[in-house]
Amino acid sequence: MSGKVKENMPDYKKDKKRVDGRKMDELRPLSIKVGVIPNADGSAYLEWGQNKVYAAVYGPREALPKHTQNPLKANIKVTYRMTTFSVPERKQPRPNRRDMEISKVLGEALDKAVFTEQFPNTEISVFVEVIDSNAGSRVACLTAASCALADAGIPMKDMVAATGVGKAFGELVVDLDKAEEDAPDAVDIPFGILPNTKEIVLLQMDGLLKKSEWAEIAKLGYAACEKIYEIQKKALTDKYQLSEVSQNQIVDKSTPKKVEKDSVKTKKESKEKAKKVKK
Amino acid sequence: MSKKVVIPGELISAERKRLGSNVFVSNGKIYSKVLGISEEGGEKASVVPLEGRYPPQQDDVVIGVVTRAIFAGYNININSFVESFIPKSAIRDDLKVGDLVSAKVEYVNELREADLGFARRLYGGEVIEVTPVRTPRLIGKGGSMLELLKQGTGCDIIIGKNGRVWARNGNTELLKKVVLFINDNSFKSNLTNSVEEFFKAEGIPVSAPKRDADRVNNFVEESEVIVNDLEESELLN
Amino acid sequence: MRTTVLEYDLSKIVELARQGKRLDGRGLEEARDFTLELGMCKNAESSARIRLGETEVIAGIKMGVDKPYPDNPDEGAISCGAELLALAHSEYEAGPPSLDEIEVARVVDRGIRESKAIDFKKLCITEGEACWIAFMDFYAINSSGNLFDAGSIAGLAAFLTAKIPKLDENNKIIKNEYQGKLELKRLPLLTTFVKIGGQIMVDPTYLEEKASEARFSVATTDDGLMSAMQKGPGSFTLEEVNKMIDLGFKIADERRKKLLKEIK
Repeated sequence: MSGKVKENMPDYKKDKKRVDGRKMDELRPLSIKVGVIPNADGSAYLEWGQNKVYAAVYGPREALPKHTQNPLKANIKVTYRMTTFSVPERKQPRPNRRDMEISKVLGEALDKAVFTEQFPNTEISVFVEVIDSNAGSRVACLTAASCALADAGIPMKDMVAATGVGKAFGELVVDLDKAEEDAPDAVDIPFGILPNTKEIVLLQMDGLLKKSEWAEIAKLGYAACEKIYEIQKKALTDKYQLSEVSQNQIVDKSTPKKVEKDSVKTKKESKEKAKKVKK
Repeated sequence: MSKKVVIPGELISAERKRLGSNVFVSNGKIYSKVLGISEEGGEKASVVPLEGRYPPQQDDVVIGVVTRAIFAGYNININSFVESFIPKSAIRDDLKVGDLVSAKVEYVNELREADLGFARRLYGGEVIEVTPVRTPRLIGKGGSMLELLKQGTGCDIIIGKNGRVWARNGNTELLKKVVLFINDNSFKSNLTNSVEEFFKAEGIPVSAPKRDADRVNNFVEESEVIVNDLEESELLN
Repeated sequence: MRTTVLEYDLSKIVELARQGKRLDGRGLEEARDFTLELGMCKNAESSARIRLGETEVIAGIKMGVDKPYPDNPDEGAISCGAELLALAHSEYEAGPPSLDEIEVARVVDRGIRESKAIDFKKLCITEGEACWIAFMDFYAINSSGNLFDAGSIAGLAAFLTAKIPKLDENNKIIKNEYQGKLELKRLPLLTTFVKIGGQIMVDPTYLEEKASEARFSVATTDDGLMSAMQKGPGSFTLEEVNKMIDLGFKIADERRKKLLKEIK
């Protein structure tokens, strides 16, 4: 932060709304789509405000090299990366210390949600890639990664829903954007929970905060994660419409009828022949 | 009773119930472990998974691919978390890398490694890859779907529980289409009827064995049937 | 979906190729269709997402200001990078750049650079002091083969739509303000082929690449020039190379038409 005090600095206590017009407890628009990466065992694409992230899960697969294997449980390995063009100033392609740290805390958050003990000696690899960002990319990645794990069919105790919470321009807010993260009084708290048990699995903080404010912020965090959980649930279940199928749907997928009939006839003949041979 | 898509951690039942597969208990309540389909109102709480790799289970029939041949035996890819091994003494045929085998899972250890028995090489034929956890619908209740597929396409078919359908002779192109359709729609109802009607509309006489009068709740039960027609389908080996 | 490549898959592809067929039913000279989305990454000066069959690639450009090279004080530069993200295939690993990664980046780079499509002199800001560098990086999101062509189409789309930011008096970039667009004099595109079972086929899938005995890429422009060639593994006869060059022109033309339609 520069020491300069900006003119026209927003004052949320007075304005009653945020720089981008949101209410204090309002999330930016969030949408999730699962199954977007056909090669992966599970995947998700998430857009959250300007943030856009992919998550892919491979595994459980044999953990390699062998010395990393744990005979009691699966290792959850998260790799968080950003594309060079996902930030205002071009990012160096090689992973930096921030990427590494985020990978570690995301892995530790997901570890609590997965029945890792069911897959000894394996690794569940989770890759998250940020292609566009505006504050809150790690919670976007965690929210997407949890959907990708479920999409991969991996047994879990719960989903993980996460959001940023904190303080900006004199008020407690959820889902801070870049302008708010740069506020002089900004407090940014990436906050992730298991929605059903309410256990906190991701918690970091930058900034200066009063103890009394924290209690209020935690409340905001839980409420926001509830909303995120509902969006995750919808993204996962929408894929499966439990309707009835009809024969016409198969016909649409088949090749021209005539060819099929002919080929079936000839195959039947060949089968009869085969039976004769057998006798 | 109604079916419902559930996500991991979702409450299945607040009451005590018999525990089926893919559920866990916490504080006396029953929750789903996976993304799957649960049936509400039944006596048993269980979830049929919709996605995932093949979890080996004893007595499953699987289709494997040889990935490595060493002096003592063969490494076999069975689409699971880890590879399986067949010692040379357990198989008559000489195998090379890329060969297909059918086998039965004899034992699964605590590391989820599968011991395979009754292994035999499959000559020729084609493999259709499907989602492993959805193969029960390709077999159908009492093998009804499998029977339909055989009649409708004239193929010899082995359905590997590990997500590989092996087929030879017959109209494998048509089989592929129908199998992939069933796979893509495995969570929907009226599948067996639709496939039967489809073959009939194509002018292929088929008749599904009608062993189940009550089709409403067949989804969960279908997952419990085993392949019982294997001997017949392997007759040409 | 299983992405572990088994010997079984490869022998099937070779067998089909000998009969002039492909696993996905395409003709030997038939490229996969592609779809294109533009401008989804707001932090980038341009961005493009392409789906070529099941292969998905995202390319983006960041414009940077730097000092020109001493030997070309009146010229800017371009730079092309590629990452085969571990997200995109079970056989890819997160880590230092692999040889495949470096090759695909360099071939895409050469196709654009050597075509002289971009006038580096126009990227000069103040001679000897400041110039533009256009960094184009592309990322495999789902790898289903032929990242060469996917990267080339996405890269060209990114260059064609890249905006040049405004500068303040100290040559610092002013955020979200632009002075114009990057200009391209011609439009180079790569077309990639493999040889399997003695047959030449265009736009290989992942398995076809694995099953191939040889690989070849050619970059061709809209004004009938070639700007780069790259033979990967294996060997070709001269006749085969000539055939691929002819086909390369034809397929690149079709792709270019579609690309320009999307951008307009």
